[in-house]
Amino acid sequence: MFNAQEFITKTIQILKNEIKEKALIAFSGGVDSTVTAVLVHKAVGNQLIAVHVDTGYMRKNESIEVKKMMEELSLNYRLVDASQDFYDSLKGVKDPEKKRKIIGGKFIKIFEKVADEEKIEYLVQGTIAPDWIESGDNLRDTIKSHHNVGGLPDIMKLKLVEPLRDLYKDEVRKLARELGLRISERQPFPGPGLAIRIIGEATPERTEIVREACFIVEKEIEDSVEKGLMEKPWQYFAVLLPVKTVGVHGDKRAYGNIVAVRAVQSIDAMTCAYSDIPQKVLDNISTKITNNLGDKINRIVYDITNKPPSTVEWE
Amino acid sequence: MISAVRIFVIDNGGQWTHREWRTLRDLNVETKIVPNTTDFQDLYKHEIDGLVLSGGAPRIGLTNRLGNCGDYLKKANFPILGICAGHQFMARFFGGQVEPSKIPEFGKIELNLLKEDDEFFEGVPKKSIVWESHNDEVTDLPDVFELLAESENCKIQAMRHIKKPFYGLQFHPEVEHTVYGEKIFRNFINMCKK
Repeated sequence: MFNAQEFITKTIQILKNEIKEKALIAFSGGVDSTVTAVLVHKAVGNQLIAVHVDTGYMRKNESIEVKKMMEELSLNYRLVDASQDFYDSLKGVKDPEKKRKIIGGKFIKIFEKVADEEKIEYLVQGTIAPDWIESGDNLRDTIKSHHNVGGLPDIMKLKLVEPLRDLYKDEVRKLARELGLRISERQPFPGPGLAIRIIGEATPERTEIVREACFIVEKEIEDSVEKGLMEKPWQYFAVLLPVKTVGVHGDKRAYGNIVAVRAVQSIDAMTCAYSDIPQKVLDNISTKITNNLGDKINRIVYDITNKPPSTVEWE
Repeated sequence: MISAVRIFVIDNGGQWTHREWRTLRDLNVETKIVPNTTDFQDLYKHEIDGLVLSGGAPRIGLTNRLGNCGDYLKKANFPILGICAGHQFMARFFGGQVEPSKIPEFGKIELNLLKEDDEFFEGVPKKSIVWESHNDEVTDLPDVFELLAESENCKIQAMRHIKKPFYGLQFHPEVEHTVYGEKIFRNFINMCKK
């Protein structure tokens, strides 16, 4: 069985030997990058600089929370607001793989710029097994390009360090618990963020819609889990579809988009079953989203596919 | 001191190759993922007790190539477990037939054991939930193989060689959602110990 304590001791030692100069960690604030940051920080102290990028595709208040977190962990950190830059580069882009590749490439450009300015030699990432498995290689088909794998250029200036490469999320959570991190149970959030929860073009306006819908889904489900109404899903969110349907609002015709609600149970993200959400909870989610986003959204559907045949995220 | 069982995983490019490695590692097996281009002699030198042939994107229903897997099946005297594409290749190698599935299966399926007393399925009930992900399937069992399990839409879900310790599974015992997957791996590991 996986022994968290042993892994921590061994990895810190390896990192101490490996990282001789300044290092930069791509810090999203999720479980993977936070655990990685803490391990590297324990190994090389303030030689590590955490860089958090606000891509504009973050969830509600996310970057503020991440900043708090980096302070809590006493990390030497930099915050980069690149929202406009990301929005501009995704203008007119509809293809999911193109979106992912552009975002991955943008991340690397930002990290390389910080590295240049601060004379950093190493790029640390919280890459875990499903990231490189699904990104594909010479042997494996590309299911989706994960931003931390598919965005890497062929020739890297920075030396790549990925201490969690062979682990799955459940093992990373064990490490987080062992390290006493409060984010140990936080649900996964993809690097490309809300951009891949908007089917079609990820404009700033549509991002606002899906951001609000995701916020409602998260809040309703977390409240219900707290009340003991349901088991906590592995991941739960909303997806904005570019499909319009007819509705009726106060005796008048409405014509708005669809939001799909997705929630799945899993251990390691390699197989998932859709969550059995009580009807009452689905009902609350549906009413809250349509009431809050009235003129934009007038239909909510629940995704009832497993992985395989589908994946967790829609893109 | 008894040394650990050593079982390598041959990587045919599957999404779950690494999961197979993890399951073996979690069961205290000494394990490693190796490319399917590895020479049999190189494997043999490592004194392995068994081999898992992973699944992968290659369409065994359309092509008969899967790295050096044929060489392993020809020369091995230790147990081999073929999963998905590995299983299909095993069937073709021994003279069976593999074709595109009329109804491909993805995700949850009910497995029906046809031969419950095989040590490979010890502790697994007659009906259980397994997970699938395949476009092709074995449609004709090789003469030297025996059928062990089926599902509603795929008649050859599990098979074994009559004389050698070679097993083939169309479903995926390595994924978390296959209820008795770990048990099946434990049984395979026990065979490798012998």
